[in-house]
Amino acid sequence: MLTVDHIRKEFGKVRAVGDVSFEIPTGITFGLLGPNGAGKTTTMRMILGILTPDAGSITWNGKKVDGTMRRRFGYLPEERGLYGKMKVREQIAFFGRLHGLVEPEISQRTARWIERLEIGQYADRPCSELSKGNQQKVQVACAAVHQPEFLILDEPFSGLDPVNADMLLAVFNDLKAQGTTLVLSSHQMWQLEALCERFCIITAGENRASGTLADLRSAWATRILRVAPGDDAVRAVLDRVPGATFVTTDRDSVDYSVPSDTDFSGVLRSLVGAADVHRFDAIEPSLHDIYIKTIGEAA
Amino acid sequence: MNDFIVVYSTELMRRIKSRPFQIGLLIGIVSIALFTKLPDLLRGAASHTTDVVLAAPAGVLDRAKTLLANDYAIVATTTDVSPPDAAALKAHKASAWISIAGAKGLKVTVYAKDPSKNWGVVGRRLAPLNVALGTDISQARLAALMAVPVDVRALDAHFASAEQADAAEGIAFTLLIFLYMLILINSQLVMSSVAEEKTSRIAELLVASISPVPLLYGKIAVATTLALLQLAIWVTVGIVLGTNGMHTGRTIDPGAMLGGGVTATEIVSFLILFLLGFGQLSMLMAGLGSLVNRTEDLGSVSIPVVMPVVFAFILAITAIQVPDLPWIVGVSFLPLVSPFVMFARIAVTDVPVWQIVLCVAINAVALWAIAIAAGKLYRVGMLLYGRAPNLKQVWQVLRS
Repeated sequence: MLTVDHIRKEFGKVRAVGDVSFEIPTGITFGLLGPNGAGKTTTMRMILGILTPDAGSITWNGKKVDGTMRRRFGYLPEERGLYGKMKVREQIAFFGRLHGLVEPEISQRTARWIERLEIGQYADRPCSELSKGNQQKVQVACAAVHQPEFLILDEPFSGLDPVNADMLLAVFNDLKAQGTTLVLSSHQMWQLEALCERFCIITAGENRASGTLADLRSAWATRILRVAPGDDAVRAVLDRVPGATFVTTDRDSVDYSVPSDTDFSGVLRSLVGAADVHRFDAIEPSLHDIYIKTIGEAA
Repeated sequence: MNDFIVVYSTELMRRIKSRPFQIGLLIGIVSIALFTKLPDLLRGAASHTTDVVLAAPAGVLDRAKTLLANDYAIVATTTDVSPPDAAALKAHKASAWISIAGAKGLKVTVYAKDPSKNWGVVGRRLAPLNVALGTDISQARLAALMAVPVDVRALDAHFASAEQADAAEGIAFTLLIFLYMLILINSQLVMSSVAEEKTSRIAELLVASISPVPLLYGKIAVATTLALLQLAIWVTVGIVLGTNGMHTGRTIDPGAMLGGGVTATEIVSFLILFLLGFGQLSMLMAGLGSLVNRTEDLGSVSIPVVMPVVFAFILAITAIQVPDLPWIVGVSFLPLVSPFVMFARIAVTDVPVWQIVLCVAINAVALWAIAIAAGKLYRVGMLLYGRAPNLKQVWQVLRS
């Protein structure tokens, strides 16, 4: 388990991270969310030991993260970078060596990643000749060639077409299945929601919310009740629900915001008695909704 | 140690394959070739301007030819002293026609394509013949009387002769140029390599994998290796071209010097001072290179470090002439300056051992301090994007 305990980091008078804490159990995929400048990258850099926290501690399985441990970590930074003139195969092998791999394992793993990411035709070409998407794949291979125990992926899907994004999604799931703990930072909420078991939302360098999606939803006070048809009879019933407020309507349905502890069965019974109801959804907030609300409250 | 070896081996191959290194090596080879061969070529070209036809009466012709042979290539002789025309000169492919008339008192006329040349030499060379013809003293006796031997002896006993002292200055100058080129070119390659990694954003990936310190020192070690490789290649080229090519008898003859004129003391001090000077400068360059966000800014950032080196080179040239001036002795202990000035002094005079030891000690301590400072700058600078840090921020980093 990775434990981040009240870390703080300041650059001169600028406070990049004020107070961030979370725990990441081994083997899960963890989503780190926050707007630009929230302190996500600084937090990741501190986890990787690139930066030293001014206060607080970071431990992996109870031990402070050190150079030896870091060799078993992997990192895909938000700002991509490769040696432009170095060939793809050499580049992946170089990062394998940096993480302690030796021949023949380096060559075998490099070949496996080249095949897995379908970049065989570029393997002996300089990286600068590759498209942005293929460079992204090379970066992923560089970050994961040593089969890391812990892999941080900062905006891994940015700039990728849907086909390549799906390929990387499958790669990350494979890594997870092989035991790698993943930390993802992305602004693509649907991808995070599909991939991650736990989340932490930080803004202005501080924790705002953390836990599983269910935990985050449980703290959400309302649900959206979507009912079809959205005629007057239905709206008359919904208007009588305690705490309900009209949100929107379209040709077929109507949305009401209702308290999360509403007696949904009772409301459904009332609706069935009053109208010919053919749709009744108590919609839970999405990660996107939770994120927007959390960030809004923090502001 | 493993990190250092991985960085070293990868960086070495990357740099050897890089165009700047290959071009730098080639430019060095071409420069040395020109340096050794150009005087020959120029002298060859100049020799055409001294091809002359000598015209004199029969009794004078042979004796005049002997006296002028050292200064002019006499392509033809004639006893016909009548004025030549341009066609006659062209026919002999000569640049001048020296016509000597008179039996007791010589009268010389030079018909030259280039009258501005110092033809007065002809008169001076023929003076003994003129005196011999006008008096009873034989020409041989007169020549003997006119040749006064001068024996120059060095008082400090560092050099056995004036020729050796002259050669030593040439050697010192040549090695200084090597030192200057090696240190300046290679330290700037370190700087651009660091800046390239930062601007290409690969730096973050690297420092996430290994500590920045072996990364930085691996780069410096590669640059040092390549600089020594360059030096070895350049010296070999100099020896081959110099040995097989010109032997001008002039002071600056790199091939001949490097082939046999350099002393063991000079080689050892050259290597030690090179390592110290290069280490200091490349560390500083690496630290500064990590602060820039665009490779275009490298030139302006490197000026504060390059200027002392240029200044040191100028001082070193002065030191070759006056190695024991008190202020020259003083600056020969200054870091960044002493690799040049102290080397110049060692090459041309007997520098006390304690001064050499003190110089090496001061520079070694300076290298250690610079390495720590550069490591701090590098560690922070490689992740610093956006606005370049000001001096106050740099100072804060160094104090941290």
